[in-house]
Amino acid sequence: MDISFTVVEQQFRKQVRGWLRANVPGERPLEPVDAHGFDKAWQRKLFDAGWAGMNWPKEYGGRGLSLVEQIIWYEEYAAAGAPAVGSSFVGLNHGGPTLILRGSEEQKRYHLPKILRGEVTWCQGFSEPDAGSDLAGIRTQGRIEGDEMIVNGSKIWTSFADVADWQELVLRTDPGSTRHKGLSWVICDMRSPGITIRPIRLMSGEHDFCEVFYDDVRIPLSNVVGAVNDGWSVAMSTLSFERGTANIYEQVKLQLRVEHLVKFAKSTRALDGKLLIEDSVVAEQLATHRAEVAALRAMTYRSVSEFAQKGQPGNEASVIRLFATELFKQIMATEMELRGASTLDFSYGDKGLVHEYFRSFAATIAAGASQIQRNIIGERMLGLPKSY
Amino acid sequence: MNFFPSSDEEELRIAAERYISANLSLQGARAGNIDARAGLAEMGFFGITLDEASGGLDLSHAAELLVFAEMGRALAPIGAIASAVAAPLAAKASNAALAGEIAAGRPVALALAAGDRIRLLDPVGADLALLVEDDNAQLFALPALDAINDSLDVTTRQAVVDRAAVSTLASEQGGRARNHLQILASAYALGSAAAARDLGASYALTRVQFGRPIGSFQGIKHPCADMQVRCSVALAQTCYAACAVDGGHPDQDFLVAAARKLAGNAALENGRTLIQVHGGMGMTDECDAHLFLKRAHLLQFLLPSSRATLLADFRAAA
Repeated sequence: MDISFTVVEQQFRKQVRGWLRANVPGERPLEPVDAHGFDKAWQRKLFDAGWAGMNWPKEYGGRGLSLVEQIIWYEEYAAAGAPAVGSSFVGLNHGGPTLILRGSEEQKRYHLPKILRGEVTWCQGFSEPDAGSDLAGIRTQGRIEGDEMIVNGSKIWTSFADVADWQELVLRTDPGSTRHKGLSWVICDMRSPGITIRPIRLMSGEHDFCEVFYDDVRIPLSNVVGAVNDGWSVAMSTLSFERGTANIYEQVKLQLRVEHLVKFAKSTRALDGKLLIEDSVVAEQLATHRAEVAALRAMTYRSVSEFAQKGQPGNEASVIRLFATELFKQIMATEMELRGASTLDFSYGDKGLVHEYFRSFAATIAAGASQIQRNIIGERMLGLPKSY
Repeated sequence: MNFFPSSDEEELRIAAERYISANLSLQGARAGNIDARAGLAEMGFFGITLDEASGGLDLSHAAELLVFAEMGRALAPIGAIASAVAAPLAAKASNAALAGEIAAGRPVALALAAGDRIRLLDPVGADLALLVEDDNAQLFALPALDAINDSLDVTTRQAVVDRAAVSTLASEQGGRARNHLQILASAYALGSAAAARDLGASYALTRVQFGRPIGSFQGIKHPCADMQVRCSVALAQTCYAACAVDGGHPDQDFLVAAARKLAGNAALENGRTLIQVHGGMGMTDECDAHLFLKRAHLLQFLLPSSRATLLADFRAAA
């Protein structure tokens, strides 16, 4: 086991750091429309400088970085204060990779370069009101007629639906089917007639999550990725693309947040005049958080190294996700406590700690809720029987 | 950067695992591991980081950690930690002969400071004791011991001596021995946490209630999953800390303290969960569950991490 970086890796880090320091833009705008433009412009800048698609194969315009190089990229990216991926997320990290794995050559040639250049925005149409953790319960249907399908139904929790050009849409194309069978993964043009988008206001104040309604929306069959009625396997294949290196960005941000909190506690007095850090409960919480964020990084290094050595992923992804998301919420809760009564002054539209705290509840709910992660760990790692 | 065990490290770990499963048992641990020490010494486990000239294997802290985690699973003697830290300490104090004897199996008790007295863990047959504090370490010669008593850890006996009654044979200033002992205490904690997880999962598969294995109920499955998470967290950080010490990382004190805290917590919380998963049987002496809970409690006292170290400013960038 070796945690040090080679000379070549250190040189790569220097190169990355140098470019980022010189090119990182200012703050991401708060206004959604401005933020969207910002995301696209930044992605274009990254692309022009050769820093787009870190983990995409070179043949599709990506950098094809090794796993360790990806780790270095994300560490430096977070440390440089570079912007979160924002509205470019689905295209870069979900839709694009799915096309790489299962798309036709025509689909790849058409969509992948546009995603990398920041010319288009993608959103995700998976969850429905009756299908969250139980994704196989989806009911939105695509009735096949000739060379197109006619879509009716609705999706929920679609981020950036109101600014997206394309949607990765999973729907039921075999009318008699149930559960995982009879689903298709299709590329939906968000400007199609029949699509209605309704933003949902979150308890944190923003409304970038949307409901999307489909009323006889026509999608050509050439937009099906993989085979018709094989959509579940296409959706599952996306999971195999990510090696966990992108987690590093959030981990470094979390580490910086904890450091900021420690400095705050060391320099701020409570009402009784004592420094916050002199309260042993506060000190214990912060000491534990520091240890845990360090461990989180070690877990990702280990998991990535395991893949690099064995050529196939280990089974720690759910462990890392569960631990990271629960830890994130705990740290946000600690910060809320330390900031005290100033947190009472929150109202919708405010950004900053309280907004981030309310938003943080999504971490253990989205992309596999904690309860599901625990089921996966219990069943796949410990061999316990299924519960349902 | 390659932070997964190499094939050499994995071979060493497997060799340790094989030896331990053939020669140590929970039954033997309950009896105090009386005959375990000699065999472990013969395998070279007490001199893994000791230099070759003094009779050691001259391997890394990372390699030693992997072996001690396997020992920790089997509730191996606490004295093994004392020996493994004492041998290189003696060598660094230019007493290669003593280092060699310790590596070859001369028993060393693990000392905990207690005011003007010293508590000795695993003192049976020992005429040496190792006391490691935050910034210094000492190897003592022991007088004859008056009484040897039980401790809350079924596997470990203990005794008490006056500080005035021991004489220093070798000493070292600084935190090197502290980091070493904390890594090995973390390794034992890791092992105990992992064994608790395995015992819990195994029970959850075989115990049937309401017509099905209790592991199919999320009320049991989820605590078992949490045991796994604690093990993964502790393992990753302890390996990282050992590598940090091996590589002279500027923040090794923090990294070791973080491992110590997380591993100790994993052993204790997994021990508690293990009792709960076992239900009524978990309350009995006969069931092995309590062995891991009690070992975890004892480990809490082996150089717990200092909060000041965990909160100190970093030397290297994040």
